[in-house]
Amino acid sequence: MQNYILTLSLLLFVVFSAAAADYTDDAIRTLLPFDAIPAITDPQFVSANEARLDADAPVIGVNFNDDSCAYSLYLLNGHEIVNDVVGGLNIATTW
Amino acid sequence: MYSRDLEGKTYTFGVSGKLWRDALLMYDHQTRSLWSHITGEAVQGPLKGKRLRPLASTPQIAWKTWHQNYPRTRVLSVPTRGGMRESLSQDAYADYHASQRAGVSGMEYTDDRLPNKSLVIGVQVPTKDDTTQFRAYPLTHFMDTRVINDTLGEVPLLIFHDKTSFATAVFTRNVAGEVRTFSEQDKYFVEDNTGTRWNLITGEVTSGKEKGARLERLPAVNIYWFAWARYYPDTSIYR
Repeated sequence: MQNYILTLSLLLFVVFSAAAADYTDDAIRTLLPFDAIPAITDPQFVSANEARLDADAPVIGVNFNDDSCAYSLYLLNGHEIVNDVVGGLNIATTW
Repeated sequence: MYSRDLEGKTYTFGVSGKLWRDALLMYDHQTRSLWSHITGEAVQGPLKGKRLRPLASTPQIAWKTWHQNYPRTRVLSVPTRGGMRESLSQDAYADYHASQRAGVSGMEYTDDRLPNKSLVIGVQVPTKDDTTQFRAYPLTHFMDTRVINDTLGEVPLLIFHDKTSFATAVFTRNVAGEVRTFSEQDKYFVEDNTGTRWNLITGEVTSGKEKGARLERLPAVNIYWFAWARYYPDTSIYR
């Protein structure tokens, strides 16, 4: 029983030390393979009137050189990055 | 929002699936360097230490408000397999946003100055001595007002947030060589101390002799406090 408690305490110590140290640890960790979340490299667009967005749906908006573009945040959740050209600028929209 | 152009070359980016400081890293297809999408800096690979140029966007806004102000806007659309379109109306991270959990890994960085999951507008401006100053504007300040006139470093700033449309914008208060002060009117319209009326979604003067003039928009993010503070621990907080 004592051994069990000792082991448990040690385990908890290790776990909590790791947790406490985590934010000072700048290690790069692999969570998913490359491109498991597919970034968009060939974005397709519809006009404002064709967009099937709820009135209150959140979007990221950009306007460069009077060319404007809206990116639904819900759509970006599944892609994270859109490689795009807006108003002649090469941009990466990230979320 | 970053420029994909760096030192005369254009890059395209994918999602590396790797985490650094609890946020996903991007990679560029050309060199496979890993980039933080929070700071725009390459943290590993041939381009390590290089920094992408941040671009000013509207980081979040209700669709109808964007559409009203930019009627000719294009809208991203992604057809998927089988001809079905991905849902444009559901938030896959709704549970995460609603919970008190911070970070993807569940490990928590804590800066006690604000609650972890409080939302702030993160602003950074360069200073004369080549450093950068950071300030967080808690959204709680915008319950009763939509604009804050502030100065960070030597840059006079106008911070705008409208809780109805959730629109956020940061501009400099320099107009034609002078610093102006702005007070809110209705919706997303403000008036400056010379009586000129501005639309803060577009950043443009709406009428009068200055019609068409545009405020300089600065990069800004809506971000959880724990993430902002982790990347920029020297940040000040607007009180």
